[in-house]
Amino acid sequence: MRGRPNLYVSYEAEQSLLPTWTQRIAATLVVLVLVLIPLGGGLEVGESSFRPLGFLADADWLKILTQVGIFAVAALGLNILTGVAGQVSLGHAFFMAIGAYTAAVLGGEVGAEGFFGPRWGMGLPIWIWLPAAGIIAALIGMLVAPTAVRVRGLYLAFVTLGLVFIGEWAYRTFVSITGGSQSGREFPGFEIRLWKEETPLLDLTRDGPSWLVVNWVDWLLGPWINFPDEMSEEAKTFLFVLILAVVFVVLAKNLQRTRIGRSFMAIRDRDIAAEIMGVGDAKAKLQAFAISSFYAGVAGALFAAFVGRLIPESFNLFLSVQVLAMILIGGAGTVAGTLLGSSFVILLPRLVRDFSSWLTETVEEGSGVLAWVGDFFVSTGQDDWGLVSTASGLTPGLSVAQLNAVLYGALIIVFLIFEPLGLYGIWIRIRNYWKGWPFTY
Amino acid sequence: MTTTVEKPESPQTGSGAPTVASRIRDWAQQRPDSVVMREKDYGVWQEKSWSQLWDEILTASHGLLALGVDARDVVSIHSEDRPEWVILDIAAVAIRAITTGLYPTNPTAEVEYLVNDSGAKVHLAEDQEQVDKVLEVDRSRFPNLKTILYVEPRGVGSYDDDRLMFWNDFMELGRRHRVEHPGAVEARMAEAEATDVMTLVYTSGTTGPPKGAMLTNANAEYCMEHLINADDRLAGNEKPTPDDQILTYLPLCHVAERIFSTWTLASNGTVLNFAESIETVQHNLAEIQPTLFFAVPRIWEKIHATVVIKLSDATWAKRQVGKVCMKMASAIGKARVASGGRHTLASRLLYAIGNPLYFRALKERIGLRRCRWAASGAAPIAPEVLEFFMGLGIPVYELYGMTENAAVATCNFDGRVKLGTVGEPYPGIGFRIDEETGEVQTKHPGVFVGYWNKPEKTAETFTEDGWLKTGDVAEWVDGTHVKIVDRMKDIIIGSGGKNISPSEIENSLKTSPFIKEAMIVGDRRKFITALIGIELDTVGDWATRRGIPYTTYRDLSEKPEVIELVQGIINQTNDKFSRVEGIKKFRMIPKELDHEDGELTATQKLKRSAMTDMFGDLVESMY
Repeated sequence: MRGRPNLYVSYEAEQSLLPTWTQRIAATLVVLVLVLIPLGGGLEVGESSFRPLGFLADADWLKILTQVGIFAVAALGLNILTGVAGQVSLGHAFFMAIGAYTAAVLGGEVGAEGFFGPRWGMGLPIWIWLPAAGIIAALIGMLVAPTAVRVRGLYLAFVTLGLVFIGEWAYRTFVSITGGSQSGREFPGFEIRLWKEETPLLDLTRDGPSWLVVNWVDWLLGPWINFPDEMSEEAKTFLFVLILAVVFVVLAKNLQRTRIGRSFMAIRDRDIAAEIMGVGDAKAKLQAFAISSFYAGVAGALFAAFVGRLIPESFNLFLSVQVLAMILIGGAGTVAGTLLGSSFVILLPRLVRDFSSWLTETVEEGSGVLAWVGDFFVSTGQDDWGLVSTASGLTPGLSVAQLNAVLYGALIIVFLIFEPLGLYGIWIRIRNYWKGWPFTY
Repeated sequence: MTTTVEKPESPQTGSGAPTVASRIRDWAQQRPDSVVMREKDYGVWQEKSWSQLWDEILTASHGLLALGVDARDVVSIHSEDRPEWVILDIAAVAIRAITTGLYPTNPTAEVEYLVNDSGAKVHLAEDQEQVDKVLEVDRSRFPNLKTILYVEPRGVGSYDDDRLMFWNDFMELGRRHRVEHPGAVEARMAEAEATDVMTLVYTSGTTGPPKGAMLTNANAEYCMEHLINADDRLAGNEKPTPDDQILTYLPLCHVAERIFSTWTLASNGTVLNFAESIETVQHNLAEIQPTLFFAVPRIWEKIHATVVIKLSDATWAKRQVGKVCMKMASAIGKARVASGGRHTLASRLLYAIGNPLYFRALKERIGLRRCRWAASGAAPIAPEVLEFFMGLGIPVYELYGMTENAAVATCNFDGRVKLGTVGEPYPGIGFRIDEETGEVQTKHPGVFVGYWNKPEKTAETFTEDGWLKTGDVAEWVDGTHVKIVDRMKDIIIGSGGKNISPSEIENSLKTSPFIKEAMIVGDRRKFITALIGIELDTVGDWATRRGIPYTTYRDLSEKPEVIELVQGIINQTNDKFSRVEGIKKFRMIPKELDHEDGELTATQKLKRSAMTDMFGDLVESMY
């Protein structure tokens, strides 16, 4: 019945992913805007040219957004393990590395030579190496899972931390896979081939004509809207990652309302109680590790392919902590929170940099109240005290990179203490305030 | 919500007079796939369509035939509201048998009395609790009872009594009978007469044992025509439609709930939603958002108290907005009360601002956002409560009727509301106020045919010229509206010889969220006193906030701070009444009153005689 949001006549309705029209419309709009961003270079609507969120279509911004998409997949995976199933893991970087190197071996160039000797590569197409990256990581994850049945909480965090260090040894040892310490190797790019043919079906690593799909939409909307005929490498990659990310978001969201997802939550809330109610502890943890590692593996492969060349040290503890920060800042256990968190963590450095340089410019121009206030924060020369310095040479204050690190740490502390549910928790509180209106409970 | 569906024509096949059963059959033919019932089970509202409902009723009818139930045999139902209640009720009517309902709170002794007085052949006891009430009594003391049906098997399975039968087995029996004797029920329905007794409604009996009022098919038809489909009852002279949602939560054995759920369903095809229990009513209301809502004053007072308490418990900003908006609401309420429930220009303007910002959300929280008709009846309600709801945009129409006249007496009609009155008599019915005694008397085809097996009691209820004596004293207001003074036997003759209506003072006291029960004493005494029972939830909350520790209800009642709180409320009330009606002293009732202990009737009305017996020393201590 219409207008009765709390009246559920079936479990399907009660459990639906987007129960209200507001949510359905909002989700559609978000996806639509994201799709339109890379096309925004020159949409022509009628006579006028139209750039929705135009600046985001610039190559450097598209790269950041692509990174958000890739890390969102990684964070969604960790969220399933840590947020939903309650198993703290610091080994996420290890599983990402497994994915990345599986991709490298399966999809890498055949017979390539590296600094430390020949590197393995089988030249298989993306539709093999990308899923394989996930599957191999999932298998390794299942090997680790039994330890989680034995140890909990802090101890599990340490066990998974061990993985990162085992990984570091392994990367140095198996040079034909990793290319060796400080040297690294090339990773397969986003080229979609049927098999090993010379010209790829779709090449996302080169600027060029728009995709088939885009052309088709262009034709459909032809009379009203003109899409650009040429698309940049970054735009294509972004769209490709966006599609994958959307798929993984839907899967992760859906997982939470399945039997498996509910068993994860039962284990998280109290594993002994869950077992008494018939939820298999070992089985649920095995599934959680497998699914989470699958996400990590795919994200690792995407990340490696996106960057193109990586040294094995990239998959260190810091990467694990970064992903953990995403789910903690965003809100552990929620998909929306994870997405917010990964956007926030990836965008933060860029925003800090842009803000600092804008502030510096304002201060250097030196007029108005803003410049006066800004001067307290920005140090513009050796004698000028300030919190941040964008000037070169020995000036007081933190560099932008240092400021990022400080902010980052401070944010994790602040969120853990004041808002354990993260950015999503803030939203929930705002929503509940109005949901209860005019009462409080 | 504006779809109008033609009322199905009553069938004229054979002598078959229209009954609730035939009307439901017609609806089932007309709208087989539409939803007609919802019951919350396992966390979701399970739906039932008209064809399913009618199919189950037919099967249950066959089941009753298989159990040997004949015309004029009685089927008694002892259960909370649930689809099986309605199914068995209608199934019995379909085969010309008689249904009677028992209150779930009826204790063993009353169950024994009611089952035997009605001579029930089949008794439905919902669950183990109700089954036990029958089994506790030796079977030799139930000469007529052949079968005890139960719906909830938990705990009953191990009982060894050949009269017990599980509901599903009963339906299976019905299915087999249906195959073997197709058309048996339809044949019975075709024989139905308008004069057939369809139900016994036991009056709550504030004095003496309950009496079973016999209502016939004709009575029910008259009620549907003149009450349910009365002109101007709903705003805009609309009638209930199949789009209307009703929350069924008051006991179905009471005539009011029967009229506003089962009979409204039968006559106008509305949808019934069964509340999980009386405790969850407020929660279920918010889910269902019914469009038609009937409640007794106790429920309205409870909702009112909830709103007041929750608003005062809200966070600072919400409280500030609340203060302003509730002022607006009270202005709207006053304006509408002054103009018979209609909006004035000013109140409409205020409402246009307040509704989208505030009232709409508030109404949604309490579950009355979509309510297009709300009513209070079965007991007197304080005008302040009605004004409060009117200010929020929920006009609550007070109406008046009793079991013996199928509740067809008076009603406040849309746009002609007068607070403190029970409205105008329905057009075209026989209604008079006796000039000598001031007693309300009615005479129309809705008036019952008599008490079951009690011809002498029946005779006492009618005047010599055949009018029904209601026992309520009333007076005319402006020549059109009726104001009920009190039950004839409750009126107090004060020291000065003035007639005082205790219920008026009691209801005024009960508008406070802190007071649950109040009983005014003072008949042939020097002055008026009161027994006060506090509302445990709200007073408990109040005490906790002030750091007053308490253990039990009694302990809380006797705290000096609580007595002071009650004294304040009594002082406020005294200001509203004349000096002789002022309460000079009061005492706290040391326990929560309930049906089981005999202080309240099954409909939660005070049994004054029992109260006087029980708390006689408390009363005497005040004089």
